[in-house]
Amino acid sequence: MPLISVVLGRLSQAFLLLIAMSLIGFIGVHSVGNPVFNVVNIETATPEDIHAATIALGLDQPIWRQYLAFIGNVVSGNFGTSYIYHLPAFELVMSKLPATLELASIAMLIAAPLGTGLGLLAGRRSGTLFDRTMVKASVSALSIPSFWLAMMLILVGAILTGWFPSGGRGLTASFLGQEWSFLTGNGLWHMVLPALALAIPNIALIARLSRSGTIEVENLDFTRFCRAKGLSSRRILLRHTLPNISVPIVTIIGLQFGGMLAFAVVVETIFSWPGVGKLLIDSIQLLDRPVVMATLTFIAVAFVALNALVDLFYAVLDPRVRLSS
Amino acid sequence: MQIQSRFCSHRLAALLISLTFWSGLPGPVHAQEELRIATSYKLMTLDPHYANLNENTSLLSHIYERLVYQDDRLDLQPGLAVSWRAVSDRQWQFKLRENVRFHDGSPLTADDVVYTIERIRDFLKSPSGGFRSYVTGIESVSAPDPLTVVIDTNGNIPNLPLSFSSIFVMNRPAQGFQTTEELNAGRAGHPPVGTGPYTFESWSSGEVLKLARNDDYWGGRPGWPQVTFRVIESPAARVAALSTGEVDLADAIPARDVASLKQRGARIASVGAARINFLQFDVERDRLPGVTDKSGEPIANPFKDALVRRALAMATDRGILVDKILSGYGTAAAQVFPVGLPGTSETLQPEAPKYDEAKALLAKAGFPDGFNLLLAGPAGRYPGDGESLQAIAQSWARIGVKVQPAAAPFSVFNTKRAAGDYAVWYGGASGEAVDIILHALLASPDPESGNGALNFGHYRNQAFDAMLARAESIQEGPERNRALAEATEFVMADQPIIPLYHFHHIVGYGPRVASYAMHPRGWTTAMQTLAATE
Repeated sequence: MPLISVVLGRLSQAFLLLIAMSLIGFIGVHSVGNPVFNVVNIETATPEDIHAATIALGLDQPIWRQYLAFIGNVVSGNFGTSYIYHLPAFELVMSKLPATLELASIAMLIAAPLGTGLGLLAGRRSGTLFDRTMVKASVSALSIPSFWLAMMLILVGAILTGWFPSGGRGLTASFLGQEWSFLTGNGLWHMVLPALALAIPNIALIARLSRSGTIEVENLDFTRFCRAKGLSSRRILLRHTLPNISVPIVTIIGLQFGGMLAFAVVVETIFSWPGVGKLLIDSIQLLDRPVVMATLTFIAVAFVALNALVDLFYAVLDPRVRLSS
Repeated sequence: MQIQSRFCSHRLAALLISLTFWSGLPGPVHAQEELRIATSYKLMTLDPHYANLNENTSLLSHIYERLVYQDDRLDLQPGLAVSWRAVSDRQWQFKLRENVRFHDGSPLTADDVVYTIERIRDFLKSPSGGFRSYVTGIESVSAPDPLTVVIDTNGNIPNLPLSFSSIFVMNRPAQGFQTTEELNAGRAGHPPVGTGPYTFESWSSGEVLKLARNDDYWGGRPGWPQVTFRVIESPAARVAALSTGEVDLADAIPARDVASLKQRGARIASVGAARINFLQFDVERDRLPGVTDKSGEPIANPFKDALVRRALAMATDRGILVDKILSGYGTAAAQVFPVGLPGTSETLQPEAPKYDEAKALLAKAGFPDGFNLLLAGPAGRYPGDGESLQAIAQSWARIGVKVQPAAAPFSVFNTKRAAGDYAVWYGGASGEAVDIILHALLASPDPESGNGALNFGHYRNQAFDAMLARAESIQEGPERNRALAEATEFVMADQPIIPLYHFHHIVGYGPRVASYAMHPRGWTTAMQTLAATE
């Protein structure tokens, strides 16, 4: 029974979030400018062409009527057709998803264990040279703008040394009806630099979080008891400290993963990695409202789902959460 | 010494790792003779009639062909049609090339041309209007025999053949019309079938287009077995891909990157674009937003006075725009196309700034102290657009005109311009020929006829309208070109716009390409490359 009410509560929250998001997104794109000028060739179009295009796209209607029509279509499962690509908007977003999903997953697979491990070690040996280096490195990694980091990775990894390709997805293989790069060696090779560009700031973030958590937990009574009982420091670190610091880390991993799915715009653009973030920013620039709305909806749903997952993980990781509910 | 050897061993280790990694990999799969192109043109649909944008037509020109072509001097050359003539004022006849086959094996016949026109005119309802404007003058089209197309027009259209340099010919399916959705579905639907030198392999919107050689091409075997276009919109990423040899050719190279690319061994080709960037004035309204006297009080529209427009033109330093902002990859402009192209005037040459004379003109027009204005323009749409506003502001400050530059994203700029928020702005125009630009940019606006579609400042000059109409009634040839040049000279004396520059299309290419033939229309195609022989 409580489970059902929790789920219902979550769903109604998600529903309200989607309504608010769609309203803000819709009005936002509407007030930026008129998409008609991107649909017709502005350098050759006659006023008549522009007028015809305005009517064809339904932009002659008042904004509230356009919004109601959009909501009506969404309810029947139709996000509309992209003004620019003339493809169904939601299909377009889904076709970009594999690229984003695999890049974000690999970046997080690098960042999460590496960041946690570094943080644990640094926290355990706080004050040592290793700890001080780690703190300084993480501060600089966090303060580097991501476009600069991406550019430097290309400069060093591709142009100066020629080890890695400078962009693109490389070879892809078909799996579950979608094209994936991680299934081919060449595709993996293409993923190295963009995945690093996404992972490095996250390594730093997670490492800082787990370091401060470790320092805190190391001073608690139960760790002292463990030590007094003669448990090895490795066992203390992995079996006792790690679970106790994992809640904030899992939260940040969930949030950052959602962020990478949606807003890896800079990295996707510089490495010409055709993902969701790039589609979103392109569509905003071209005022391609159906695609912007479909992408935003997808992102909102993804964040809600990730948050639910994170909550589930709390229960798995922290016995207190399980007991209280 | 110690440091150096450690550094070396690190590099060696890294190299070894990369080598071992490589050996286990299937290797880069671009075959020996695949041409790889990084392009800024993102092909948005496989329907060649859906939208009249270079973004689509540039890449689709590998698959589909047109009845006539424009060569690099913009003169018409035979394409799928070997000859054409005006039978009368209202009738044209095109003779098609023999033995041309579509990629599915069916022969090209006159009926396919009829189908193409019907598809554009009657079937497609794309929001942009597609190519409909090119066929509005066509009353009827028929195919008296398989290689003859007869077109009746509803008026005298001497430049009808030019329209067919933009229209891609499709083949008539067994029944009905091919829909845009079927074409966009690619291999899963009805992949695009044309007569062009390359056949369609695969496409992913905004990512990649793969083409294969059409061995039966009527114009001889094309140069590359495989052609892959990668859509890379970020200029820096295109430059990087060319630097590392991941692509053989990259288009729309920023002028500031040319030097470093050359250093890395890439070669550069460039040509003045058949297009114009200019400043346009609102000459219709009595009051203009942002135009005030020195104390900030609104004043009557100063741009109605030709003296003021002249003065501002004289105070514009095009040299700075071309040399500094475009790093030499631009040509200062005094008319709508670069001098030398058909219909341009030899006597109209860009003038060096004459600040004293300009100031005197301004005083004569009643503004001895100048005035304030807001100069609007798009940012990031054309090479040098945003920076040009800054440079012009500095030039005009020397004659007392205080300019506040206002650059906005292209779609925002267009929306605000259409809403009448601007008094004077930076713009761009392109077209197949001089008369098309003159028609759109400088002819008196008239929604009925579609004249003056880009004449957003509502400049009206009946004498020029008459001269342009007369020139356009003449058949293609030197006489028509002379009449167009004279009309241009006449209207530019009134300075309805300030032509700024024709930027250059810049393409960079690597060692596997021997040469690249530039074209002023700026498409990027495999046909323009010549493969290097080893």
